[in-house]
Amino acid sequence: MQELNNKIAELLTNNLVSIFISYKRGLNGKIKPAFFTKPDEVDENYFGDEAQQNLAVYVHKPEVKKYSKVGILANIFALKALLQLYAENQIKDNYLTIVTVNQDNKVIVFADFNEIESYIAQHQIEKNTDEHKEIDKLLSLPREERWEFWVEQLSSCIKCYACRAICPMCYCSKCTVELNQPQWISVPAHSLGNFEWHIMRMMHLAGRCINCQECSRVCPMDIPLHLLTTKINSDMEEEFGQIAGTKTTLDFALNTFKVDDYENFIR
Amino acid sequence: MKILSGKIMNYKTLKIDNLDLFFNEIKKSGKNLLVTKKKGTTTYFSSFININDVDFNYIQTTISPKSVLFPKVEELISFKKDDGIYVMTEPNIEKETIVFGLRPCDAVGLEYLSNFFLNENSDFAVKLRKENTTLITLACKNFDENCFCTSVGLSPASTQGTDICLTDIGNGLFHVEIITDKGEKLIAEHSALFSNAEKINKENYVAQVPLKFDCDNFTKNIKDYYNSEKWVVNSLSCLGCGACAFVCPTCTCFDIEDETNLVCGTRLRCWDSCAFGIFTLHASEHNPKPMQSDRWRHRVLHKFYYSKTNMDTISCVGCGRCIRVCPAGMNILEQILDLQEA
Repeated sequence: MQELNNKIAELLTNNLVSIFISYKRGLNGKIKPAFFTKPDEVDENYFGDEAQQNLAVYVHKPEVKKYSKVGILANIFALKALLQLYAENQIKDNYLTIVTVNQDNKVIVFADFNEIESYIAQHQIEKNTDEHKEIDKLLSLPREERWEFWVEQLSSCIKCYACRAICPMCYCSKCTVELNQPQWISVPAHSLGNFEWHIMRMMHLAGRCINCQECSRVCPMDIPLHLLTTKINSDMEEEFGQIAGTKTTLDFALNTFKVDDYENFIR
Repeated sequence: MKILSGKIMNYKTLKIDNLDLFFNEIKKSGKNLLVTKKKGTTTYFSSFININDVDFNYIQTTISPKSVLFPKVEELISFKKDDGIYVMTEPNIEKETIVFGLRPCDAVGLEYLSNFFLNENSDFAVKLRKENTTLITLACKNFDENCFCTSVGLSPASTQGTDICLTDIGNGLFHVEIITDKGEKLIAEHSALFSNAEKINKENYVAQVPLKFDCDNFTKNIKDYYNSEKWVVNSLSCLGCGACAFVCPTCTCFDIEDETNLVCGTRLRCWDSCAFGIFTLHASEHNPKPMQSDRWRHRVLHKFYYSKTNMDTISCVGCGRCIRVCPAGMNILEQILDLQEA
């Protein structure tokens, strides 16, 4: 897409960014992340339906941060992730130049996160009815059967942490599973340990996850993690009226106290 | 990789229609039979139940069959306090297992893995499992752009490391090569299903995988590539998960975890990955491999240089699993070609 390529090359040439994160076609024909540092590399840039990976995850990498001025091609999910990260104070001012291509193939370079907030408000993502049907089907089962479903699904987990690695919201420099004084979460991939890991991760994500479903896409064992992320997202919206990745200011329901909270146990 | 051109003990023919009978007979004899089953877009190893579930047409399974020798989690020893005295128990590893449908590259991978664990300090669990496991490989008729077995000295026709090799030769027939005594014993237990055969030219019936790079040349020059910027450039997308190591048939790194309370407990061994940031982290907080590019380089060097130095063989079998599973598009083949490009 020439307009996009020109914009990326221009940003690099004018030194507005020293690295630009986008996509390219790899040796085996699959689309993969690209890290352009020179304008003449941008010929390799890919834009299209095959570009799935949420690139927002790379803004945390020390190898990327050292470039100081980073450009990134963000699809709607990456935009939501970046907005949520900004609200969580994970993005320094002047660190990122965020570019998107809208549904009319127009290249947009965002001036600031307020513009991203407006853009996201104008581009709501439709609910996936098939997913909700699957979730409703699970919810209609008796508790024991629902438990058995997840026991079976999570028993195949190999604890590779691909789900954690690909998630833009999992940026803890020391993950809970990497602490052993005490060992909060088991390391080996036995059934109980797998449950602990996935439940803990979902609880750490509730209210922050923007439901890009990368975790589910990358799982080598085909565990339907997207059912969990979709559910926590709809729970947070129903119970607290909070939707992640929509505001520049932190709106995190699970650690915010409001004076008019209807629970009185905390008074 | 040295191909030990193992003397093939015997040739047989097996009608594909007789597989159902073969599998059911094995199951009836009380052995654990693992076959390749399809689930969505992936194929994986699972206990045989029905011949209709068996997938013969997959290119490669997502995860290697190394669990039959080296499971993702296993108990090494457990203890319990009984009447004030601590009693230790070793686990029972006895079940005879047949693995059907793994690829020739996987058999070589498992051979490397066994040799690794059965070295000077022979691992009792892997030893027992290996003794109780019979491998039946299925020669590849197809390959994809991520396969590079021929570049590492192997081929879809290889019989190294397996007990029995099956090749689909059309007309509803498998050509059967019996490589080891163990294979011979299994066939003998079901001899009615097999008829005698002569040697054939397998090359006519297996995939022809084009050479991608010169492996000897790569291993020879690898020291010169150590400081190349290309390790850094090509590992920017790596996010440091364990997927590549865990699906790999030759990755043997493990972690030991004790899960105990004051009264009872268990010592577990589980898979580990050199890609994890904390893999080489010292208690002092010093990390000799602080950047992802250091860890990526280590992985490739281990497969193509360190294992050659330590065990006289490279340890990559070109199965391509690491490339297919990587969430972030990392590609070991791409890295090797990039380094070799003058």
